[in-house]
Amino acid sequence: MTEPILELRHISKRFDMTQALDDVSLAIYPGEIHALVGENGAGKSTLIKIATGVHQPDTGEILVQGRPVVIHNSQEAQALGIAAIYQEPMIFPDLNVAENIFISHRSRGPIVRWNKMYQDAREILAKLGVVMDVRQSAQGLTVAQQQTVEIARAISLDVRVLIMDEPTSALSLHEVQQLFKLVRSLRDRGIAVLFIGHRLEEVFDIADRITVLRDGKLISSRPRSEATVEQVIRDMVGREVEEFFAKSSVRLGELVMSVRGLTKHNVFTDVNFDLHRGEVLGFAGLVGSHRTDVALALFGIEPADAGEIVIDGKSVHIRSPQQAMELGIAYVTEDRRKFGLVMPMPICANITLPTLPKYVNGLGLIQRQKEMEVAEEFRRRLNIMTPSVMNTVERLSGGNQQKVLLCKWLNVQPKVLILDEPTRGIDVGAKVEVHHMINDLAAQGIGIILISSDLPEVLAMSDRILVMHEGRQMGIYTREEATQEKIMAAAMGHPEAILERQA
Amino acid sequence: MQSSRLASLRRMQFLRSWEAILFFVFLAILLYNATRVPAYLTVGNQINVFYLYAEKIIVALIMTFIIINGEIDLSVASVMGLCAGVLGRLLEMGVRGEYAIAAALVTGLLCGLWNGLWIAYARLSSLIVTLAGMIMFRGLVWVMVEDRSITNFPAWINHLGQDAILGPFPLSLIIFFVLLIFAYIVLHHSAFGRYVYVIGNNREVARFSGVKVQQIKLILFATSGLISALAGVLYAARLGAMRSSTAEGFELEIITMVLLGGVNIFGGSGSLIGVLLSILTVLNLRNGMSLANITLQQQTGVIGALLIFSVLVPNLAGRVRAELNRRRFARLAAEQTAPAERKEVKAESK
Amino acid sequence: MKFITRILRPEQVRELVTLFLIVIIVLGFGAFLKDYYTGRTFVRISTSIAIIAVVAMAQTLVAITRNIDLSLGSIVGFCAFFLGVQLSYHHEIGPVPAALIAIAVGTAMGLINGLIIAYGRVPAIITTLGTMAIYRTAIVFYSAPEGGIVSAHRLPLWARQFASWSIFKMGDLDFRVMVGIAILVVIIFQLILTYLPYGRRLYAIGSNPEAARIAGFPAQRIVFIAYLIGGALAGLGGYLFLLQYGNLMVLAGVGLEFDAVAAAVVGGVNIFGGTGTAIGAFLGATLIGTLDYSLRRWPAISEFWRNAILGLLILLAVATDSAIMARLRLMWARAAAAMTMELAESKTSSSPQA
Repeated sequence: MTEPILELRHISKRFDMTQALDDVSLAIYPGEIHALVGENGAGKSTLIKIATGVHQPDTGEILVQGRPVVIHNSQEAQALGIAAIYQEPMIFPDLNVAENIFISHRSRGPIVRWNKMYQDAREILAKLGVVMDVRQSAQGLTVAQQQTVEIARAISLDVRVLIMDEPTSALSLHEVQQLFKLVRSLRDRGIAVLFIGHRLEEVFDIADRITVLRDGKLISSRPRSEATVEQVIRDMVGREVEEFFAKSSVRLGELVMSVRGLTKHNVFTDVNFDLHRGEVLGFAGLVGSHRTDVALALFGIEPADAGEIVIDGKSVHIRSPQQAMELGIAYVTEDRRKFGLVMPMPICANITLPTLPKYVNGLGLIQRQKEMEVAEEFRRRLNIMTPSVMNTVERLSGGNQQKVLLCKWLNVQPKVLILDEPTRGIDVGAKVEVHHMINDLAAQGIGIILISSDLPEVLAMSDRILVMHEGRQMGIYTREEATQEKIMAAAMGHPEAILERQA
Repeated sequence: MQSSRLASLRRMQFLRSWEAILFFVFLAILLYNATRVPAYLTVGNQINVFYLYAEKIIVALIMTFIIINGEIDLSVASVMGLCAGVLGRLLEMGVRGEYAIAAALVTGLLCGLWNGLWIAYARLSSLIVTLAGMIMFRGLVWVMVEDRSITNFPAWINHLGQDAILGPFPLSLIIFFVLLIFAYIVLHHSAFGRYVYVIGNNREVARFSGVKVQQIKLILFATSGLISALAGVLYAARLGAMRSSTAEGFELEIITMVLLGGVNIFGGSGSLIGVLLSILTVLNLRNGMSLANITLQQQTGVIGALLIFSVLVPNLAGRVRAELNRRRFARLAAEQTAPAERKEVKAESK
Repeated sequence: MKFITRILRPEQVRELVTLFLIVIIVLGFGAFLKDYYTGRTFVRISTSIAIIAVVAMAQTLVAITRNIDLSLGSIVGFCAFFLGVQLSYHHEIGPVPAALIAIAVGTAMGLINGLIIAYGRVPAIITTLGTMAIYRTAIVFYSAPEGGIVSAHRLPLWARQFASWSIFKMGDLDFRVMVGIAILVVIIFQLILTYLPYGRRLYAIGSNPEAARIAGFPAQRIVFIAYLIGGALAGLGGYLFLLQYGNLMVLAGVGLEFDAVAAAVVGGVNIFGGTGTAIGAFLGATLIGTLDYSLRRWPAISEFWRNAILGLLILLAVATDSAIMARLRLMWARAAAAMTMELAESKTSSSPQA
């Protein structure tokens, strides 16, 4: 076998409380697509950041073509022939395609020769088998096109190791196939590709070798020919699905919310469902299925264009978050940093934010004592690890931040609670606690919509599961009839495929 | 036991805070001035120190809210000038003083609403909108007053602007202290103040939490217009005259005072205590420099330098600390990787 | 439509719109005002925008990188003053050495700004707010022995006459040297921004600072140099300022930084980085200058309306930019996408294996 182009040996990395990577060794060979899979928080991102010089390992070493190197930043990584492409493409929206490809080149002479640059860009894109107007401003490109531009940039820089961090998460099925064609052509040209994936079917489609990380440890690494889906899932999860905290069945209460024909043009069409008190309605689907957009419409952030929402028997048009909150709807966002919590502010101020008027006395002053008491109670109930509720949120771990976010919305005492990826990026212990809590809340009679890309989680936690594909509702499955295969097939837009096979 | 540790932790935090530094700088300036001028620490002199800057420090209060909210208002000085102009023109035309003042205040409110509507609802950047406002409102003063100067205000208006009306305190200072207390309560103890911070930190989180972001921004800019109008009226009353260039350039000094008080230019943090300390520091520094025969223009340069250093020094200190840390880690890492490198060299030499 | 998207970029459309507005203003006022279409009008407008165009170029450079320079007016003032005092005592200094002196002093001041902003990581608005005051104070100190003024009659002869030197004359149409310098500067910087890797990187930094960091070019040095050049341009502006006005007070150049922002914004420069051209900024300055002069000539309204209208103009420029430019870009993107489809189809139909 040839020499590995990039080798990581016994890498460990610790962040404050968590061991992100624990003695991980990995070798990547030229002309090979090496897939790295694992649950969120398994250490994939940390590994990439170490390979590209964003983080330095605590222990262990990195070898490029057999020579030990220390990589301090992404420029040094680039010089060593290592480049990464992230979920959110790093392009310059105000420059055109050709410039985006060549902007970081140092040796293109003292003067920009536009025509030559266009020609070179066309050549590179042609080599990749891509058709694109090289004079087009990058602003108007789709995510898939932006990724293509980034790949072209990497190729133009003569990259030998290309790291792709969940590149398919924002792509449609067709675009994924295009991307894979491109990735295979890179492999055939002798480039090593480290592909971080989160959809197993894609990983099995593209990878030559599949490596599984779990809780910062390397669990297994097999050629694809020797790997099976079941085995990989077992390696990723480390436990059978039964170990998930399953929802205890509660007798469903009366109807709390009913949605008919909900539509937002060019986003989602004709969403229909009923939600009962004490019910957990799972929303399954791949990224790009626009589940979150349905939630945003229900919460009034991006109101729907058409359709009917009935809450407690009354038809309502939800136009703003304030209105949604008054109707008893709460939405726990998937992106804590951007939309969920004010990081540099105290825990208690975050928890009371949506209901602040309740903590104001007759003179219009905030009653700090009352705020603290409420926050303190939540801290005990949800076991938030912090010395004081006056501490800022940014100092908490991801799992504890997630708990604060949940507290913030529980404090609203909602009738309908929408949870958007509530366990993404938190460790297993916190995950179980969150599942515990979902169960408690349902038992208290709250109707819960659980959006999750974690299929076993949806299966274990939901009473019924609504599956979406590219903005269309594919069906609602009861707990009894739902299987992993059925949900997956529906999420990929072919609900009947499985049914036929079963028939 | 734990509470005492917490208390000592807080004391430590305070000592390292920007407010504490400002406080000591202020004390040092005060002491220095007091030793040089015998009557410096008298009430009369301190009132005098404030009196000359009363209008600017009144506007600094609302500017604190706006900058914490993540915006900026460059138009305040022009609004001051415009409202002084409205007052002057109406008085000239024989309108009764009360009505003229009311009209001036309404003008300020309208200017603020104009800015606020563009910023909150059209979502344009406040830097540009208020820059346009600054030029436009100043332009309107020129249209109204041209290159004349308006004097001959009614005696009672001059009296309000110039004389002590409550003990030794002139009206402008009473207004400042009342507004200061009110602003402190609103910013640090009311829901509105909390929203101002939240929006300044992260507008999206505020929106996702049901906070009426646009409404709050509109209220802030409208208030800024109103307060600037009040300051403009007080200024005209104090001088007993106004011209088209009245209050020109004040916005920069007002913003400087707020930023020097530790308010983050990108929003989200800062306190009125800090701004008050900054006001005390700046005013006493200026007074001290005046006593040392340093001209107003030269004083402005010193304040400018202070503003830069207030951000530069903590930045550089942080960088030095980070660099020292990095070197320590690098040394540790070198010790760890050294054996591996030796191995490599051996392998190559074979 | 397809033809237009092929030969023009959205920025060029924006420039054409500015140019179109200038033409409208000229035609509009020309219909009302007597003796409007004369060489005198051209001379007045062209000389009035020479200084502002040069300073606007400095503002454009830093604005493209998501920064701002509020100290430009003070730099212009100081350079004018410094040079004025030097010339008052040293009549032997010629026009070219004098320009170099002013540019050198301006560069030094830009260097201080750049060091603090790029390497000290102090936000540009704070830094230049501070240096604006400091540089103004420097004028006060420097001019104190001179009594705080520079008087034209103490300047050498060439400096008193410079403002009326012309490159060519046709009747009363007079193309002044000052205007030539300004236009030369605009052309040079348009070329720098279009054809030098440095210029393109300015756009890249302003377009996506995070991506610029990862792409690995020295963002700090690029911003630092932008301030350095900005200072140099302000120095040149100071040179022109002195030669234009001759008599200076310590308030020389006050407010020029805001005029420069106004010209850039009206000309389509986004002060939050990534877009804007030298020609655009120049057209912005021209639009403002033309409007300014024409209003002053119009007897029906007070000349004092100038600023009120300018303020409104800035607001309208950004409001339409935010509303229309986004849509324009989208249109261009759609056209490009359609072209890509066409290209793809032609490719598949021509290749036999498809």
